[in-house]
Amino acid sequence: MKYLKCTLLFALIALVSSCEEGYLEPAPKSVISSANYYTTPEQVESAVINIYDGIQGVWDFGMDENRAIQLEYYLTEMRSDNTRTKSSEGEAAQFESYSVEATNGIVANYYQSYYNVIFRANVVLENLGAAGNMAAKFEAEAKFLRAYAYFNLVRLYGDIPLVDCVISPEDKSTAYTRVATTEVYDLIASDLNTAINGLDNSSSYRASKAAAQTLLAKVHLNRGDYLEAQQLCESIVGSGNYVLEANFKDVFYNEGNGEVIFAIGYIGDSDEAQNFSPEWLNAVGRTSGVNYVTNDAKAALDAMGGDRTMYSYRNDVSQTTQNQVAKYIPNGDSALGIVATSTDPQKAGNDWVVLRYADVLLLHVESILAGGASTSSAAALSSFNLIRSRAGLADDADGTITKQELMDERRVELAFENHRLFDLMRMGEAQNVLSAFATSVGVDFSSSDLLLPIPQREINLSNGAMSQNPGY
Amino acid sequence: MKQMMNFKITGAIKLNFILAACVSIGLLTSCEDEVYPSAGSIADKTPPSAAFSATQGVGFNDEWKTYSFANKSSSATDFAWDFGDGNSSTDFEPSNVYPGEGTFDVTLTASDKLGVTSTYSEQIVIVEPEAPSTVVPPILEASFEDNSLPDGTGDGRDSWRLSGAGVIQITSSPTYEGSQAAKFPSGGDRQAYQALAVTPNSDYTLTYYYTMKTSPSGGNVTVWILPGEVSEFSAVDTSQAIASFAGTDQSSSNDYVKVDLSFNTGANDKVAILITNELVESRVDNLSISAD
Repeated sequence: MKYLKCTLLFALIALVSSCEEGYLEPAPKSVISSANYYTTPEQVESAVINIYDGIQGVWDFGMDENRAIQLEYYLTEMRSDNTRTKSSEGEAAQFESYSVEATNGIVANYYQSYYNVIFRANVVLENLGAAGNMAAKFEAEAKFLRAYAYFNLVRLYGDIPLVDCVISPEDKSTAYTRVATTEVYDLIASDLNTAINGLDNSSSYRASKAAAQTLLAKVHLNRGDYLEAQQLCESIVGSGNYVLEANFKDVFYNEGNGEVIFAIGYIGDSDEAQNFSPEWLNAVGRTSGVNYVTNDAKAALDAMGGDRTMYSYRNDVSQTTQNQVAKYIPNGDSALGIVATSTDPQKAGNDWVVLRYADVLLLHVESILAGGASTSSAAALSSFNLIRSRAGLADDADGTITKQELMDERRVELAFENHRLFDLMRMGEAQNVLSAFATSVGVDFSSSDLLLPIPQREINLSNGAMSQNPGY
Repeated sequence: MKQMMNFKITGAIKLNFILAACVSIGLLTSCEDEVYPSAGSIADKTPPSAAFSATQGVGFNDEWKTYSFANKSSSATDFAWDFGDGNSSTDFEPSNVYPGEGTFDVTLTASDKLGVTSTYSEQIVIVEPEAPSTVVPPILEASFEDNSLPDGTGDGRDSWRLSGAGVIQITSSPTYEGSQAAKFPSGGDRQAYQALAVTPNSDYTLTYYYTMKTSPSGGNVTVWILPGEVSEFSAVDTSQAIASFAGTDQSSSNDYVKVDLSFNTGANDKVAILITNELVESRVDNLSISAD
């Protein structure tokens, strides 16, 4: 009897203590969940790497996969005067004719992919408590990548939902409320300032201080804050960490070179391969050929490219009326001395260069031009002539850089690197240049074509809360 | 059973007749009363809404007279632009070359195929852009005279103080002009500092006069142009100077030597003048700045 009493007492104590320690919500022991996974700095770092993985995207053709950066040329270069599809077929051809539909799958995929990248960044930011003394660096990296994602989205879609923490599927108000671009830019600038303070220039495949400075300089130029942009560019120049590659070809075919500020890496013939550059060839990828060079871009490169021209575009040998992009060729070109990056050209290994030093030098000129018609500043001429001299061209002839000269130089230096459309928009010339271009190729352009439609799926899911961009 | 059937048939015929009568009456009234669309139609929930924005051209010649218009109208199919200068257009996104400076009322009338219209007007003020000018900042107490501040006060050195720096002395002889100049004793522990608001990326020349005692030899009086503005002398970093000139002419303790110090402001909308000396008692007077 006494023994039974003791047992009952123990049982009672055990029950009471169980209740106190989350008896009703026990932590799962046999599975890993996001709620209990992040306990060490290494585990938080795996979440940081996961953000880069989101930007790198999945080697696949499925439009539900994270395709992110591998589809970006459709939305940028092919909506500018630089490229088009080879045969004007399918929804890929909506971009060059400025007739994009809200149901376009590429538009929807890019949107979904970058919100997924933002989610991955927010996961890191919510688990910094487990990152120990690496917390500041991981925060800086996650915020750089979140700012990069938002900067792409806000320039392409205009007012967009602003998600700055991990939200549940029930939080429809955050997911489907379009926030004014100025507010989105405020978060981007604040994230980039955190990144600048928490990073150094030790890697071009991970976020760096210079990468954050370059993006912030572009944000300032978009807002007309020219002096801040100039100071950021001069800080990158002053760091001494970056140089122009002596040979233009090496920028793209000597991976990890000293001109690259930020790149997304790919490994050929592996799960980490990319399949955007085979699409730019004649029926090597899944399409018959996209991102083909327009006659307009060819003429600009022929006239102003210098040494850059032969490594920017080449004639399509199997269809000689057409021209292909010569940057990021996956299967080599013996005439150009370019080696294949993979044995299966569909599983290409060419890295994608997001930011490079030449971009910074031309942004420096743009910040000194400060929205004016021309500049004769010695500092601007010095940056400008570095770019020209690497291309084998003489210094600016009259010592005065006009806005047109700067736009031309950016176009030929950075051709097919997804800058052209953003450059035209930032410099206030998109409507002029693209309507003239559209007329010359016989399609209709209007200023509302500068923004993509919000994907129809998002509008449908929002139950009418989300409005569409004008013109769609 | 048969009877019931008969009745039913009769009933149905009657009903048909009544229905037909009703319908024909209904038709008649409809025709008489109103035209299409009648009751049952829904209101136009998407009437046209006119809106636009205007952008001035940029360039060397007369590009400033050209405005391009971005059409931001919704639910409209036809557009009529009145540019306010007598010109008009029915294009979707036209541009217009204006005769010159002035104020113009631009009106866009957007309409749909139901004939519903919406009108939006905006006034544009056209001014020929001036060549970018360089701000020439005033240098306060530039010749170190008493009561030379804009409000008629000051001891000649109020504008040259910096927290943590030694306050400069004032000398009455020799001066370059007027009755006072700045004096830097041989100890080298006095510094004059003044920040100026300038135009970035512009060329300026700072002109000033200095004289030094003839001994001991090996001294200097140096004027530095520093980027930005600091609030503490400890934050001054002369290694970052945009320009500087070290005066070392000790040939006469009475005659002032003129210096033109040219500099480009670079990525700064503020620069500061800092004057220091070493070893030899020195004097500085009459600073002035000009844009090149």
